[in-house]
Amino acid sequence: MPDREFSLKESLKARMIILSAVIFLVFLVYSFHLYSLQVTQGGVYRKRARDVARREQVIPTQRGEIYDRNYDSPLVMNVDSFAVEIIPAFLPEKIDTLVSDLAGVLNLEISDIKDRIPSRYKNYYKAVEIKDNVGFDDILYLAEHKENFPGVSWRSKPIRSYTETGSISHVLGYVGDITREEIQVLYNKGYDSNSELGKTGLEKQYDIYLRGKEGIRYNTVDVRGRQIGDIGYVEKPPVLGKNLVLTIDRHIQELSEKALGERMGSVVVMRPGTGEILALVSYPSFDPNIFYTDQSSSYYKKLSLDSEYPFLNRTIQSAYAPASVFKIIMSAAIMEEEVFPEWETVDCRGKMWLGDRLFHCHKKTGHGKLNLQEALAESCDIYFWTVGREYLGIDKIVEYTRRFGFGEKTGIDLPGEARGLVPTPSWKESTFHTPWVGGDTFNMSIGQGSLQVTPLQVANAVSMVVNNGINYVPHLLKQVRDPVTGEVIDEVKPQVLHNSLIRKDTLSKLQHNMREVITKGTARVIMTTDAVDIAGKTGTGEVGYKDRWTSWFAAYGPYGSENIDEQVVVVVMVEAENEWEWWAGKATNVIFQGIFADQNYEEAVEDLNLWYLRNNKHPVSERTE
Amino acid sequence: MKTKYNKGFDFYILLSVLSLVIIGIFFIYSSCVASDGSVVSNEYIKQIIWVILGVAVLVSVIVYDYKKLQDNSVYLYVFFIFLLVVTLFAGNKVNGARSWLGIMDFGIQPSEFAKIATILMLSAFFANNKKDIRSLRTFTAGSLITLIPMMLILVQPDMGTSLVYIPIFLITAFIAGSSVRHIMYLLLSGSLLIILVVVPVWKDFASENTGKIISAVTENNLYKFIVLAFIAAAIISLIGYYAAKKGYYYWIMYSSSIISIAMIGGFLVRNVLKTYQIMRLIVFLDPNIDPKGAGWNIIQSITAVGSGGVWGKGFLNGTQSHYRYLPQQTTDFIFSIIAEELGLIGSLFIFLLFLVIIIRGIMIIGSAKDSFGSNVAAGVVAMLFFHFMVNIGMAMGIMPITGIPLLFLSYGGSSLWTAMIGTGLLINVYLRRYRY
Repeated sequence: MPDREFSLKESLKARMIILSAVIFLVFLVYSFHLYSLQVTQGGVYRKRARDVARREQVIPTQRGEIYDRNYDSPLVMNVDSFAVEIIPAFLPEKIDTLVSDLAGVLNLEISDIKDRIPSRYKNYYKAVEIKDNVGFDDILYLAEHKENFPGVSWRSKPIRSYTETGSISHVLGYVGDITREEIQVLYNKGYDSNSELGKTGLEKQYDIYLRGKEGIRYNTVDVRGRQIGDIGYVEKPPVLGKNLVLTIDRHIQELSEKALGERMGSVVVMRPGTGEILALVSYPSFDPNIFYTDQSSSYYKKLSLDSEYPFLNRTIQSAYAPASVFKIIMSAAIMEEEVFPEWETVDCRGKMWLGDRLFHCHKKTGHGKLNLQEALAESCDIYFWTVGREYLGIDKIVEYTRRFGFGEKTGIDLPGEARGLVPTPSWKESTFHTPWVGGDTFNMSIGQGSLQVTPLQVANAVSMVVNNGINYVPHLLKQVRDPVTGEVIDEVKPQVLHNSLIRKDTLSKLQHNMREVITKGTARVIMTTDAVDIAGKTGTGEVGYKDRWTSWFAAYGPYGSENIDEQVVVVVMVEAENEWEWWAGKATNVIFQGIFADQNYEEAVEDLNLWYLRNNKHPVSERTE
Repeated sequence: MKTKYNKGFDFYILLSVLSLVIIGIFFIYSSCVASDGSVVSNEYIKQIIWVILGVAVLVSVIVYDYKKLQDNSVYLYVFFIFLLVVTLFAGNKVNGARSWLGIMDFGIQPSEFAKIATILMLSAFFANNKKDIRSLRTFTAGSLITLIPMMLILVQPDMGTSLVYIPIFLITAFIAGSSVRHIMYLLLSGSLLIILVVVPVWKDFASENTGKIISAVTENNLYKFIVLAFIAAAIISLIGYYAAKKGYYYWIMYSSSIISIAMIGGFLVRNVLKTYQIMRLIVFLDPNIDPKGAGWNIIQSITAVGSGGVWGKGFLNGTQSHYRYLPQQTTDFIFSIIAEELGLIGSLFIFLLFLVIIIRGIMIIGSAKDSFGSNVAAGVVAMLFFHFMVNIGMAMGIMPITGIPLLFLSYGGSSLWTAMIGTGLLINVYLRRYRY
């Protein structure tokens, strides 16, 4: 057996030295490791120690309020509402009685509550929301019986309250929880899965101003999630949402809404000199406040299935044949192009042949000989058919339709605006694979056929007639104001949308012709207001079904005024089924009376002595009441 | 006589030990304080009582001449083996191990005290066989003395405590003069066995592509073939050694039998232990594999230690500890709370105190008047050092979580008293180093 350990065999000392060396080595390695942990990487671990005990808490913000142009009382504000929460760790040993009691108070199913309590709730210190939009009375009950509800708490969670709930709902829209699809689009803009955002209307359009930014507070928590200390460190204070001031005048809005009454249709009132919208009415509408209640989903379902589409904003989201209102554009084209002298007449005998088809004027007996001015006043179809087809031609008609802004969006600050449709020979060719025929030009000349326009486009086209051939981007937002100081942060300046480059004398002759419509023509019986001189044009469109029309009235006033700032354009459109609904002109009359005599609806009706309008309710719904 | 007593008393050890137990009380108190400042546990009061009684135990051990233990050690040893057997059947379960003996709150852990009994028995055995110390027979008998309590503790099951017996045996045997070849044989085959158990499990979790060498360990068919090859090599070289008496035959047999034993042992252990049990032992290699489970304790402990910085967060100001992220603060992770609140400076001071005790202990090995005395001192040094290395290594994330306490500092009567008795024995041996 080889023996190489003589030195070790004899010497205890040698073994002690080896043992000491091993032990020293371990101490040395440990000291270095400790140094590396505590000094070299100390910062990393300090951060980790802080992070593990830190919980981010959101400090809620408040959404901005919305005012009308008078800036006195808000159209939308936030009212106190409460969310009831449970901190599971503070629940008693047996939770069944508490849960069933709570379900009774909050009008919930027992399973609704139990599903939200985590299974290992004994160590769960984070509040779990059980229900929001809880009214003050229920909170009062919980507060009075606090000893019966250990672990149950509540916090303020303001909700939107719409003080005006009629037609303005289409303008304002409503707010709801963010959906998964919306997060994907908006994630980079600071939204997260807990965000609320505007779903329609201005709430959606100006969400970025209204929403504000939530603050962040860091709380220190122990391993079981219990908060340590009273208040954490405020990393970021909340930023309140900005207030909006609209161009809408809520008095004119109410006036227009009542003038339209319970008729499916819409009203646009705007300033031609700036593009400011004074009223935007669409009937039927909805009550957004119900979206913040328990009936939210059933109400939403009911509205969605309603055959009258109450969610549809008929001023901008729905396009119709403009009918005789289109003769304003035809008149402008005829005069501007000088294809047919305005004094020359066309003989209307009530009907005319085109090939083998017979076309009737709306007056079956015929108007007799008419010049342009008389043709517009009487709304003679034969005149515009003849001049449109034989002298103007479809290309010019299309050109002028476009110059007046049809077929494209006006750019109003509301989501979901419709474009409308301006038919052309090439469009018809590519869509229906049939050629454009003379009948199509006939239809186009009197605003029928495939031509589709929104009431807002009509209002903006009339604005052009009033305002030297220029119109502006229609807008609803006037100012953005600081929620605390009221200081104006941002103001919307008028922005030119189109310049039609139509000669001034053409426009003033057109204005005169439109005035003749009121004084001598089709509207003279209806337009009884003497508060202001109106110029305008009626229209009755065929929808294609029997007993279905669109009743139009497009007007402005005061006629003859050089001051563009006092001018107002009003467009009323009613989807009519019977005579009671054939109403556009009568509503326009009331609206002008109200605006220029500074009267509300009831006063205007009284002054105009319109006995039949004193109760502007649908006869059917009146009977059911 | 009196002057000799004064000269002979080792104040360094005593002062260091007293410092450690007092620091221990302070930090057990610290971990009893909740985040809102209220004291939620009375463990620190219990520890004060343990310390006072422990000092009395220490003094009484010093007074009793250790020499008399050489002959009595066998009774002590048999008594504690008996207690360990009783514990297996009548013990109370704590943390899954049947390791406690006693009624209600008052009880002892026989596995702790059995360390002292084993040290004494082993030391006496090696001292009594001084002439034959280098023989394989003495070495094997010594290892059996250690193996009996070790196995009884292992089946409790308390692997951490049973592991302490390995360094006790190896270092005592080394100091007593056993053949280094025998010690190395155990050390090498043991280390290899551990590697062979751990590597296949580790491979499953760290999914990087593995070389050919590791696949030799993980593939069963290849494994069997390799084992057979090494056994054959060992047998052939054994025959060759007796036939030719050539040195190289001896070394071939030595190494190939180490490999065979480690491979067979590794195979057995791997089939006895479940994968998750092995995982729990090796998770310290990368605690992020299981950050919510087994890795949690390690991550929180390293975070506590690392966030202490140079000067620490201050007494009672540790966040990891007071917010309860740190588990088992008074026992397994007492060092983490000290490192968090006292920083590098405080931690190194703790290191220094242990170093003083251990270095003095090694010096006492040399100054003992007889072989029994130096063997006892070696066993105690081994015990103190191993507890230090494994517990603090665990707190720093470089040792597996075995759950053995940091002697003098961790909460608990049995381990404190065991450490006190050990210290008493060291002082005792030093005190009686002169032959008179």
